[in-house]
Amino acid sequence: MAARLAEEWFAICGGCEVTILDIGEPLIDVLKKVEIVHMPVIMDHKLFGQTGENKEMEIPAADVGLISGGIRSEEHKKLAQEMRKKCKILISLGSCACFGGIPALNNLYTTEELLQKVYRDSVSTESNGIPHEEIPALTDRVYAVHEVVKVDAYLPGCPTTPEMVAGALISILEGKPLPALPSKSVCDECPTKREKKAVSTLKRRFESPEYTPGAPLSEMRCLMEQGFLCLGPATRAGCSGSDGTPRCIRAYMPCEGCFGPLSEKANPMVDMMGALSSIGLDPKQIPDRAATFNRFAGAGRLRPTPKR
Amino acid sequence: MATNGMPTASAATVTPPVDTFQPLIIALCCNWCSYAGADLAGVSRIQYPPSIRMIRVMCSGMVHPNLVIEALTKGADGVLMCGCHPGDCHYQEGNLKAEKRAEAIKLMLADFGIEEERFRLEWVSAAEGPRFAQVVREFTEQIQKLGPSPYRQ
Repeated sequence: MAARLAEEWFAICGGCEVTILDIGEPLIDVLKKVEIVHMPVIMDHKLFGQTGENKEMEIPAADVGLISGGIRSEEHKKLAQEMRKKCKILISLGSCACFGGIPALNNLYTTEELLQKVYRDSVSTESNGIPHEEIPALTDRVYAVHEVVKVDAYLPGCPTTPEMVAGALISILEGKPLPALPSKSVCDECPTKREKKAVSTLKRRFESPEYTPGAPLSEMRCLMEQGFLCLGPATRAGCSGSDGTPRCIRAYMPCEGCFGPLSEKANPMVDMMGALSSIGLDPKQIPDRAATFNRFAGAGRLRPTPKR
Repeated sequence: MATNGMPTASAATVTPPVDTFQPLIIALCCNWCSYAGADLAGVSRIQYPPSIRMIRVMCSGMVHPNLVIEALTKGADGVLMCGCHPGDCHYQEGNLKAEKRAEAIKLMLADFGIEEERFRLEWVSAAEGPRFAQVVREFTEQIQKLGPSPYRQ
């Protein structure tokens, strides 16, 4: 019997849904064993019944539920609860669902400040007031899915990796336990050379690191020591998959931290400020540290700066 | 107390009135200089306010910013970090690392809504018992002026 799959998306760009497609050929085998019962991105299944006849939102019962995106509105909250009720296994798909992701950068401001900026103060906005009729109210901040309902497994990443999604789906179909997330950091998997001392002052993102084209990555100096803001020390490993080398490093780019912090309680900003100052980089030069180091992990970590 | 003829600081600076705020200060002292300095202050019977809770660390350079931030966000009113004077570090340059990290800590305190003055980095050598007592006295007074930490419930 095919496993029933439900998928719902909240505050997200849709990239993690594309990742499901990116699984490639193994997806054909997976799809033979899966019956998709609800997935707004590819099918016309309406929440209030196909003709809007129902009073309550309803999602069909499913064996596996995937949720991508953080929770930004009361509608998302209700849907997350409905998904939890109807799905036997609930999985957070992507960093937005796991830690709030990019939308959670807004947690640096209050919802009132957000609405004021977007609908009134923005220079390019012709203000018609803040919309409030027939739309769900915004929550007070962006929540990760597990802050609202219990989640059984996490597939972080921005976007998450096809390998991880396929691995999780196949484990479920075969009745095996879901693979656990690694507890190592990205630095533990990074092949670059480290000497624990910065060789340069802070560099901007668009500058090119020093490396010999064609030479193996183990001959390149650690990007943080070259002065780039690489979030490797404070980021969970896992993006490298079977390749063994972290995704961004493979492309000679510093880690952005999309796999989220090393633990639920870790604060990447504090860890990164410590790591950068320890190798001798000037912490004062780091632009917008709270947002830079919590780029994907804002839910529960970023909050409006307390007024003194 | 002062019956054995040892010098003591004047009573006025030592015993604060009962109703003044008694801060809780975490003092991270390095094993080689500052802890020995504090020890000297003790054996010399130099008096200083009982506000500090001392944690001995091998080097000020091993104190990561998250330890300081955690102390301050979980109820400490101040954090005092003491290390060897520059050039005297038992591990060559651990204290210079601490100095760099102190900059980062001060920047981050603002993000957490904590006054910068609640954190202090001081150099205290093993021979500077009186100086250690003086630093604790000054820092305690400073924290008393600031009042309890905003994170203290």
